[in-house]
Amino acid sequence: MATVSLAQLAKKYPGGSGLAVDAVSLEVAHGEFMVLLGPSGCGKSTTLRMIAGLESITSGDLSIDGRRVNDVPAKDRDIAMVFQSYALYPHMTVLDNLAFGLRRRAIAKADIERRVRAVAETLGLSELLSRKPHALSGGQRQRVALGRAIVRDPKVFLFDEPLSNLDAALRVGMRGELIKLHHRVGATMIYVTHDQVEAMTMGDRICIMNSGKVAQIGAPLEVYRNPADTFVASFLGSPPTNLIPARFNGTALLVGESRLPVARNTAIESVIFGIRPEDIRIDGAAPHAHGEVLAVEPLGAETILRMRIAGVAGDLMVRGPRTVAAKVGERVPLAFDLAAAHLFDPATSRRIV
Amino acid sequence: MGRILLFAVLGLFTAFAAGPFLWVATMSVRTTTEISLDHYAWPEKWHWDKFPAAWFNSNYNVYFENSLLVVLSAVAVLTVVGAMAAHCFARYRWRTNRLLYFVIFSAIIFPPQITIISLFQILVQYGLYNSLVGLSLVYIAVQLPLTVYILESFFARIPSDLFDAARIDGYSEWQIFWKVSLPIALPALATTVILNTILLWNEFLYAVVLITDDAKRTLPLGIQRFMGDQLEDVGMIATGLMIAIVPVVLIYAFFSEKLIQGMTAGAVK
Repeated sequence: MATVSLAQLAKKYPGGSGLAVDAVSLEVAHGEFMVLLGPSGCGKSTTLRMIAGLESITSGDLSIDGRRVNDVPAKDRDIAMVFQSYALYPHMTVLDNLAFGLRRRAIAKADIERRVRAVAETLGLSELLSRKPHALSGGQRQRVALGRAIVRDPKVFLFDEPLSNLDAALRVGMRGELIKLHHRVGATMIYVTHDQVEAMTMGDRICIMNSGKVAQIGAPLEVYRNPADTFVASFLGSPPTNLIPARFNGTALLVGESRLPVARNTAIESVIFGIRPEDIRIDGAAPHAHGEVLAVEPLGAETILRMRIAGVAGDLMVRGPRTVAAKVGERVPLAFDLAAAHLFDPATSRRIV
Repeated sequence: MGRILLFAVLGLFTAFAAGPFLWVATMSVRTTTEISLDHYAWPEKWHWDKFPAAWFNSNYNVYFENSLLVVLSAVAVLTVVGAMAAHCFARYRWRTNRLLYFVIFSAIIFPPQITIISLFQILVQYGLYNSLVGLSLVYIAVQLPLTVYILESFFARIPSDLFDAARIDGYSEWQIFWKVSLPIALPALATTVILNTILLWNEFLYAVVLITDDAKRTLPLGIQRFMGDQLEDVGMIATGLMIAIVPVVLIYAFFSEKLIQGMTAGAVK
């Protein structure tokens, strides 16, 4: 168990334009499962590789358990990492793959054997110990990669998109196993992914990154409900938050041609109105607006509607129950859950309310 | 029908490839007198005694030993140094990486005839002329670019995640080379070992220029000894050739599968 602390961590690649990672500050607590989430190229993997010691740190401080480790080589940081490609040694058996990291560390042979067998047992690899990686399925390779990290019993586990090479069904299963693993070993884990479902379901907290910077850090639901800016609002959620340019007019917020009763508590007149698809209902009782149905996507458990409302350029996504009966071309009344909606400053894209 | 054609073509090719070998093989057990009567006749009497005669009376044991010494040491150094260089070129990024690689590889374009006189002078200067150590060093220098080239392209295909994993597993760069890079590159290493062994085993030009002592001749030079000004002992040349060919054939027989594996490695995923 260990704390990991990043203070103004930055990375500039030689020859690269600008910073790949820009002043990232992050405190990961003992035993916390921290997810670094972001689109590809946002710097999340580079941040992880700096924590691992695989990339040099351009500026800022990285501490593990309060000790600055900027210049400590990867092998002395007592971390383990699971790679997206699994990175199993192709010339070694599963047993050797698992034991490789221990043999380096002055551990008695019998002890290594015992630890490897114990880990293999918990991961269901006991039958496969004499096989080479090429004779394993994707899921089995994934387990070996995981086992290689567990057997080391490191201070910190690092995961670099470990599930993205698995097929969908296996991914859901491994997600559950990783959560169980975290509960069992209780170690500090830092997990990089671009998959928001993984982030939401696995993380104690999520750190959302965008173009090298931290966009927001918080518990999954906190981040989901109160996005710090338009990027987080549009990145989390599928379909994402509807972001509509709007303008205050007297006591009402003008969204297209609709007047919404939103209390004005900002000096900014032109704002971005953000509302999640699930916070819009088809409701004739007290509609805020009317929308024309452009497309209907029945997903079984729910129905996604693509709508156009008068005076708004972009389409509006609405998440309705499975019982929605709207047809394409139909005009339906819409009610917004304004308590759940947010306003963003178009200049800074930060949330106002 | 297709199969008949296939066998016909294969048969023709086999005759084309094995014919000269068989011819030399028959001549190796015939005397020069017999050969000059009829070049292509089947041996009437099998003169097996020509082999011990060549081996002991004509110094072939010494030539064979010299060849073995020079080629094995050259190939050993080539493999280790070549693999290290290739590993660095494939694995590490530094400013002059590609420039250095280009400089080393571009040495391939010089035909040996261009460099041999300067090589001769350099070896004389350093007291390495007419020595097996000198010849071995020359062989290493000549074959290193191609060795590095073949190995680099193989090393470059090893995913860098493997090195990162080994670093996190606690291994130093030096240990990673021995425990991860080398074992994975075994097929490519086998290719270069076989290629270099066969090439250097048959090498004649550098040897004839750089070796003068009879006791330091390599096998190809030993065979040349039977080509006099006045007469050629064709029968003994054939016997010498057979002695020289045997190791090459053995290497092919045992390693040809590995050789093909190495050459086509990565071609199909």
